[in-house]
Amino acid sequence: MKFAIALFSAAHAPSSRRALLFAQAALAGGHEIVRLFFYQDGVYSASSNIVAPQDEQDIASQWRAFVSEHQLDGVVCIAAALRRGVLNAEEATRYQRSAVNLDAPWALSGLGQLHDAAQAADRLICFGGP
Amino acid sequence: MSKSLLVISRQAPWSGPSAREALDIVLAGGAFDLPIGLLFLDDGVFQLATSQDAKAVQQKDLSANLQALSLFGIDDVFACRHSLNERGLVSPASAQPLSSEQIHEMIDRYEQVITL
Amino acid sequence: MSTLHVVSHSPFTDSRLNSCLRLCGAQDAILLCGDGAYALQAASAPFQALQAKGLKVFVLAEDSQARNLPVPAWADSVDYPAFVQLSINYDKVNTWL
Repeated sequence: MKFAIALFSAAHAPSSRRALLFAQAALAGGHEIVRLFFYQDGVYSASSNIVAPQDEQDIASQWRAFVSEHQLDGVVCIAAALRRGVLNAEEATRYQRSAVNLDAPWALSGLGQLHDAAQAADRLICFGGP
Repeated sequence: MSKSLLVISRQAPWSGPSAREALDIVLAGGAFDLPIGLLFLDDGVFQLATSQDAKAVQQKDLSANLQALSLFGIDDVFACRHSLNERGLVSPASAQPLSSEQIHEMIDRYEQVITL
Repeated sequence: MSTLHVVSHSPFTDSRLNSCLRLCGAQDAILLCGDGAYALQAASAPFQALQAKGLKVFVLAEDSQARNLPVPAWADSVDYPAFVQLSINYDKVNTWL
């Protein structure tokens, strides 16, 4: 089965970890992930600047590793990201902001990518909230 | 054949970006000519209340976005009658009120759903 | 069409589970996860509402375990592989974000 997985919460939210574990189980079960689409506060789950406390899980880092290892299409919604101050190098330059906090493997793109993924997948699963 | 998507919007107009971001999903889908429906549920029905003044709280007035729905080919716009009644709101001009049973049947007709 | 509803908010502070139960159909199921698992707090109003609705109820095992919530006979505990399978068995997944 093909899954499109949309995440709406930050790395520190239990639902971000839950989405990651679901995604891992989907691949382990032989399924395909068409795209990961991070929207609303989900853009924070892609931040490169998170410093997780030593005694807690570093979910942002685990997401990065997961996407890289499996060469998944990890898309962060550009409008949601800009509003929340999550910028890659290109956007930081464009808007003359002092910091870049979004790097590979994440790509910034529009909501069309969410719809494209939903159309291509057999199942659209959203994660968010607590 | 495109898969149909129902977006269920549950937040009041200015409780953060959620109301706007739900509409953005709907309008983006409309721009791609996808079969999209929109249901206002729980506090989401407050987005349909009349005589609101977003400027008083320096927020964006979403009524322009709501009016854009039909321009983008989004005609399936619904409101939960139970949620409207709970909040003392009259039936909105821009959304078809549905009972809980009708909503259930309606959700069943869509292939995918996003509730935010 | 059958829908798997996913609820992660506590039913004691939030209206999502209530709204979900109001709109669920007989073919639907509910997966409790995160703080949604608190709906299995025995003898509570959410517990009774879930039991009375008579739908299939699942709970993410790690969440009932973490909260020391016994899983009643009318609910099934699932791990992540089973969660993935559930999302396939039901026609669509509606997460109450």
